[in-house]
Amino acid sequence: MDASVGESHPVLSVDQLNVNYRGRPVLKNLDLTIDPGEIFGLLGPNGAGKTTLIRTICARIKPASGKILIGGKEHSQRQALRQIGLVPQEIALYPHMTARENLMVFARLAGLSHAQALDALDYAIEACKLTYQVDDYVHTLSGGWKRRANLAAAILHRPTLLILDEPTVGVDIDARNALNGVIKDLSADRLAVLLATHDMDQAETLCGSVGFLHDGALAPVGNPAQLLHTAYGERQEVLVRLREPASPEVCKMLSDLGFSNDRNKLERRQLLKITAAQQTRLTKMLEASPLRIREIRFRKPGLDLLFLKIKNEQHPT
Amino acid sequence: MIAALLKVMILGLVRDRGALAMTFLLPPLIFMIFAAIFSGVSGDEMRLKIAIVDKAQTDESVQLVTALREEPSLRVYGGRLNDEDSLRRAVALGEVDVGLYIRSSLTSDTGTAPILIVADAGRAMAGPILSGHVQRLIARKMPGVTLHRLVPTIETLSGGLTGAQRVRLDASIQAMNQGKENAAAEEESSEGPLVAIDTLDIRGGNSAVSYYAGAIAILFLLLSAMQGAATLIEERNSGIVDRLAVGSAGVDVVVIAKFLFLTLQGMFQVGLIFLLAWLIYSVSFPGHFGLWLLTTVLAAAAASGLGLSVAAACATKQQANTISGFLVLIISAVGGSMVPRFMMPPWLQDIGWYTPNAWAIEAYQGLLWRDADLQALLPSMWPLALVGIVGLLAALALSRHRLKLG
Repeated sequence: MDASVGESHPVLSVDQLNVNYRGRPVLKNLDLTIDPGEIFGLLGPNGAGKTTLIRTICARIKPASGKILIGGKEHSQRQALRQIGLVPQEIALYPHMTARENLMVFARLAGLSHAQALDALDYAIEACKLTYQVDDYVHTLSGGWKRRANLAAAILHRPTLLILDEPTVGVDIDARNALNGVIKDLSADRLAVLLATHDMDQAETLCGSVGFLHDGALAPVGNPAQLLHTAYGERQEVLVRLREPASPEVCKMLSDLGFSNDRNKLERRQLLKITAAQQTRLTKMLEASPLRIREIRFRKPGLDLLFLKIKNEQHPT
Repeated sequence: MIAALLKVMILGLVRDRGALAMTFLLPPLIFMIFAAIFSGVSGDEMRLKIAIVDKAQTDESVQLVTALREEPSLRVYGGRLNDEDSLRRAVALGEVDVGLYIRSSLTSDTGTAPILIVADAGRAMAGPILSGHVQRLIARKMPGVTLHRLVPTIETLSGGLTGAQRVRLDASIQAMNQGKENAAAEEESSEGPLVAIDTLDIRGGNSAVSYYAGAIAILFLLLSAMQGAATLIEERNSGIVDRLAVGSAGVDVVVIAKFLFLTLQGMFQVGLIFLLAWLIYSVSFPGHFGLWLLTTVLAAAAASGLGLSVAAACATKQQANTISGFLVLIISAVGGSMVPRFMMPPWLQDIGWYTPNAWAIEAYQGLLWRDADLQALLPSMWPLALVGIVGLLAALALSRHRLKLG
């Protein structure tokens, strides 16, 4: 690890970044800071510019203006780039080799000596809990194990910034939870993590702060719980799912309760500030009504709802 | 249902430019190349490059040289050659396809053929072809020579033109007309006394095997280099290159490592071909191991550079497969890996110099058949080195460019 990466600098600092692609602005006046041990969730729909931001940080795309510092150093310097451990969305491993063989190759390519590489392998295998599958060929591993090996290959050189691009895409819940655990442990070791994901649950579970990237702008940015509290306060989401399209009378009744008045929708949502006693009363009232109800659900609004809200505010339909 | 699937197949073909080219452009192109080669062999387009030394300097020999110079299917070497040795050297060095040495008057009856054709074992076919041209020109343009040379034959056959012998001669002529040639008469009355062919066989062994060892070696070097280089695309698509781009190694190391590996792999591949050629057909490459190794390194490097530049330029593996298949077939056909280049029309031979195949074959022929030293081989070696270096640099530049494109 570079000794000059001191505590005084954030691990990643992006300041007023503008990136154009074929004359069109892709990232606009983007600011972002990630400190040691912080997990930052970069959220946004496809085409929002998440991959462009990652590529720009990795010095593959030249920004139109703005500044990117990694550990206080200009990001395009080789010394700064070495602070990054990149976990691409694809399984960036050689399938005809075992996980251990892959790790050794990437350790040597990271500039480690043979002895250092052996130590690095021990660290990465332990950190990613890969011990039992490390001698299996990559092409024989299940999706979750492949993802762990993919992550292990990125931390061999002990980076200070780990960039994960959709690390849990296509894996089952158990594997996702296991990976989340690994990422959390790594951040506990003061590794800064930039996590680009579509998975709002994962972002909510893992990230100390998140940012919504939409139309090239990163806003809002903040702690997930705080962002949700700011947006929704004490309100809860009430979901009513019907068995059949509502009659005009049912529609009116739902509309009177504040739900949307769309006859063809089987699923209605409403945000209500509601106590536990009020929840029980509302449930009983709906059950006693002529509505043919499949499901009534109360929950605290999540990042998915906030994301839809931001999208709708920017592009009202 | 079948119609629906037919539609899928048709759209798949129509919308895939690579598949369209492989299906409808490559076959006619390959056909045209081979048509040009083989129509040349059987017609007037072959245009052998010949060298002539006329030691006799008689009216007939000057007339023959003039006729040969006017012959559209031959190209007469412009260099100055004075004697048989210099003529043999020009043939051995591959400066000409075949040499013609007129050592005495065409009408002389010394027992040895007045015309000697000198051919290289690697182009052995050129000897009989030139011999045919010479006899055709003499028969057509110098009938007196033919008649003069026929008299001894007639006398040999008839034993003098007495009445009885005249009957015998008539019988022989009748037998010839009926296709029942007298073997002895055939031997004496055919090219034997007028034209002799000497095929230079410096190294011994099988000339065709020697030629094709080089020709097949460069063909397979190209094929395996193209296939091996395509892994560059797999690594790019799987994110391995992305990962390495931010590390200590950078992306250049991937291209350079592949270049070295493919070159090394190619050397072993070619080594295997020549080992078999040596063990089974006595193609003597261990005697020139140093130069053979240098030629092989350069040929393998040229193939690797070319393969990597194609892979770096292509976005997908399918695209790379199509383009490399196309490229290898075309340059191998034109460069002499399928048919010797001397059999091609001159314009196709000239195009052939733009392929690594032609230079590799030339270098292997030089060292295996002409005992050429390093200096003599350099003109064939530097184009191979150039292709290798330019290919590697292009692959590096294209890979960096692709990384920025994502």
